[in-house]
Amino acid sequence: MFIKMVKNDFYRKKIITGTVFIFITLAVLLGASAINNIANLIQSMSELQEHAMPADITQMHSGEYDQEEIDQFTKEHREHIGMQETMVLLNFDGSHIHYGNNNTMAGTVQDISFVVQNNKFDFILDLDNEKLDVQEGFVAVPIYFMEQYDLKIGDPITVKNGEYQKAFIISDYARDYEMNSSFTSSKRFVINKQDYDEMRREQAGELEYLIEFKLTENGDVNAVQTAYFEAGLPANGPTIGGTIFLLFNAMSDTAIAMVIILISILLIIIAALCIRLTFLATIDEDLREIGVMKAIGISKKDIKKVYLNKYRVMAAAGGIIGYLLSFAVVNLFNGNMRLYIASDLSGNLKYVLSLVAPLVVYIMIVMYCRHVLKKIDKISAVEALRSDIMERRKNRKYSFPLLKNKFFSTNLYMGVRDVWKRFGLYRLLFFIFIVCTFIAILPLNIYNTMNSPEFSTYMGIGKSDMRIDLRRTDTITDDFEKLQKELENDPEIEKHAASITSSYQVKNTEGSWDYIYIETGDFSVFPLNYLEGSAPEDEGEIALSFANAQEDGLNKNVGDKIAVKVGGTEKTLKVSGIYQDITNGGKTAKADNSLEVNQDAVLWYIVSMDVSPEADIHEKMKYYQNAYESAQVNDIEEYTRQTLGNIIDQMSVIVLGAIAIAFIIAVLITALFLRMLLSKDMSQIAIMRSVGLTSKHIQNQYMAGTLMVLLFGIIVGVLASNYLGESLVSMALSTMGASKIELVIVAWQTWLLFPLALIAVVWFTIFVCCNVSAEDDLSIVMRS
Amino acid sequence: MSSILEARSMSKKVELGKNNYLNILKGVNLEIEEGEFVSVMGPSGSGKSTLLYNISGMDRITAGSVKFKGREIGRLKEEELAKLRLRHMGFIFQDIHLLKNLSLIDNVMFPALVSKDANKKVVYQKAKKLLDMTEIAQLADNHITQGSGGQLQRVAICRALINDPDILFGDEPTGALDSKSAAKIMSILAEINKNGTTIMLVTHDAKVAAKTDRVLFMVDGNIVAQKKMSKYDAQHDDGKDREESIMKWLVENRF
Repeated sequence: MFIKMVKNDFYRKKIITGTVFIFITLAVLLGASAINNIANLIQSMSELQEHAMPADITQMHSGEYDQEEIDQFTKEHREHIGMQETMVLLNFDGSHIHYGNNNTMAGTVQDISFVVQNNKFDFILDLDNEKLDVQEGFVAVPIYFMEQYDLKIGDPITVKNGEYQKAFIISDYARDYEMNSSFTSSKRFVINKQDYDEMRREQAGELEYLIEFKLTENGDVNAVQTAYFEAGLPANGPTIGGTIFLLFNAMSDTAIAMVIILISILLIIIAALCIRLTFLATIDEDLREIGVMKAIGISKKDIKKVYLNKYRVMAAAGGIIGYLLSFAVVNLFNGNMRLYIASDLSGNLKYVLSLVAPLVVYIMIVMYCRHVLKKIDKISAVEALRSDIMERRKNRKYSFPLLKNKFFSTNLYMGVRDVWKRFGLYRLLFFIFIVCTFIAILPLNIYNTMNSPEFSTYMGIGKSDMRIDLRRTDTITDDFEKLQKELENDPEIEKHAASITSSYQVKNTEGSWDYIYIETGDFSVFPLNYLEGSAPEDEGEIALSFANAQEDGLNKNVGDKIAVKVGGTEKTLKVSGIYQDITNGGKTAKADNSLEVNQDAVLWYIVSMDVSPEADIHEKMKYYQNAYESAQVNDIEEYTRQTLGNIIDQMSVIVLGAIAIAFIIAVLITALFLRMLLSKDMSQIAIMRSVGLTSKHIQNQYMAGTLMVLLFGIIVGVLASNYLGESLVSMALSTMGASKIELVIVAWQTWLLFPLALIAVVWFTIFVCCNVSAEDDLSIVMRS
Repeated sequence: MSSILEARSMSKKVELGKNNYLNILKGVNLEIEEGEFVSVMGPSGSGKSTLLYNISGMDRITAGSVKFKGREIGRLKEEELAKLRLRHMGFIFQDIHLLKNLSLIDNVMFPALVSKDANKKVVYQKAKKLLDMTEIAQLADNHITQGSGGQLQRVAICRALINDPDILFGDEPTGALDSKSAAKIMSILAEINKNGTTIMLVTHDAKVAAKTDRVLFMVDGNIVAQKKMSKYDAQHDDGKDREESIMKWLVENRF
């Protein structure tokens, strides 16, 4: 009997039932896919880690170097250090690497190096996660470059440096745990030992050392790091902890999984709203049915069961279908993971973990239905049968009389006042329109922010036209001075500012010494936006990055004192300001020129400049690139673009996807809502038609009401994505070092283009849905 | 007097299932003169209401023709039919059918305000006058949940009259009312008819039919008999004799 009633209900409300079912299935599908993605990520990351055996501490160094000292240090710290390797990198400028039709890799912000495999750990793998074994004359190229320059296996690559020239054929792609990510600024090409030795002999490239330590099970990273510096061992490059590699590798996949989970939650909410809408739209009809059931003595519990069973069946069926489909759909989202982390994602963890999605959705739907069905408890059989009695009880004040209408035609006014009168119904649509606008505009704002020159602010860089990074060479100090002099005399350079980053020891909250990077220079030329305070302008002042000022960093506020070791002596500096920086793990600092440069530990030299409006910036870049071989010249936009790497590309896909999802949801829900509203209003529509209104008049009424809801929905949605979205993005990025993101809002896109497109789409949907059939006999409704 | 409505061989067939049709009207011929007050009687399922809805253009006939003031309306487009209903016809129903979210006076004014050239002031005054005539002016601003069945039916009459229709159609307008309210409604309709508006209504109540000029009797989808009477004078006639005469006519014809 109950099954029969549920079946009849399915047939009676095919459209709404179908739509609710689709939303439940989609919610499970996406939720399970996201969990599947995370499960894959966890499993494949640990597998990759197992095969690649990354270092726990990596110290970069160039210049003088003695392996014996390192060996001695390793011996002395056996309780912490399990293994030690020194990888010698042969560094080349992008312009030295030729590929395809006479193209070079010039302009890349990545440091390019040629290496051979280590013996003990930090292995570079192929796409099957096997240790790369490259034959003579061949090269394995990093995945980053394979994507960037569309390199294929079998393509030639030539290294040209002055007279020296060596050709390779690409035999493999290199999956490099430590340097996969675009956030890691170096990339390693793997070659055969014979070729490598020949290149070293010929002094084809600059040498750089990766002094790597694999710790014992109980090894303490901080202890080894501090001991290493205190021993005065080679350390003029950055030090990188193993967790940073992990973070960088997992970041983009985790971000994608989070976005999918967010969309999935949204779909669950929409499915719940659809269910609520069904109840609201059919409650009059259902109330009578409930009344009859109550009158013939069926218990409340059994009546509820009739309604609940329908949604139980739907949630279970949607859950199973969504769960199964997720294993196919997940392949759309894990392309990045399959390339960078593991080609084989056949682990079993995902099958168990992704079961969480259908279970959660099922429980949520059933709980929600129970909540809505509580209404049944409160209605007596008589009330249910005479629903007009309940109407009579409501003694509301009459608002919006027709004569008060001064601006609209009567039909438009009827539509607008209907929204006011039945806001309980329309607010669902209102909420959906807000959500649709929010999910489309927020990614758009994030994309525009990432693409804008202002984004450099979050990378701890003041806004300038271009910057020159000098790579570590023997002539770096001379080059740096020469460059500054030349810029001084270049009439096409409006202004420039140089800075030197070196490593210093600072006293942490526990009283021991930590190493941080401090950039010294004149920061008034290209000012940064400071979260608090201002740039270090006077002697004894220092500005800290947000991550450094945080509690888990140095825990400092503006005005606090900080102890720094300069040239062996302790110096107290005052914190002048706090700025945002997502580079170098977020932990940087800036000090005035008066802070003595720690010459032994200089990491890099940077000169930022503005080019005069008459000059061609690209010509200028070309000139300085040619004049200073060790320089890396970039315009700021290109610099941020390359550093953010495929995140920007992924973001553009997310923007398009989000807009498409917003449109699809808006169309589906508007259509569904109107279908239900029209069936609910069937008798009122028939009455209006009987007194002489055309279907066009009625269409105009619904058009006016729905478009007004849309308009307000868009306004609230855009405001929410501009302000609430800003807080959300800041919250998400505060872990990376940027706590106050100001979204770049392109007004014509957010306030004009998207709203107009959404209005057009919704208008068309209303137009199609409200085409009230005029051919039907009116008496059918009037007499029913 | 010229005819306002003319039906020739009017048929209505509805589909009940695949290859299963029901003929509700079977070639009805009917002419209604301007200013006439016509009632249609007949047993349940005889096609009374179907006749009313089809002759008024609310439903579409399946064969034959219907002319309103000499104009064929069977093939008019929806827009034209709607305009016809708005400007020239008024309807009252057994279930009253007022718009839920409007006050009583707004319900009355609504069909007039839909026209682009409506003068709100004039419409308001007219609505007030109609409500006054039907003795419910004091309820004008009430919500529809705040009136009795009889009062609401009077509102529906006012709404039907707001655009000065040529003809008023009523589908059992007193069917759901108590006898006192029904009598009131009928005296209002008689008054309206006296002022020149043609009325056609469906009823199963001889008391109601007694107030009309002509009674049509339908059986099985066709008009099988009719009885003409003099104009009813509400002021000097309680209608009892007319009712008796109709009852006698019904018995004589074994209806």
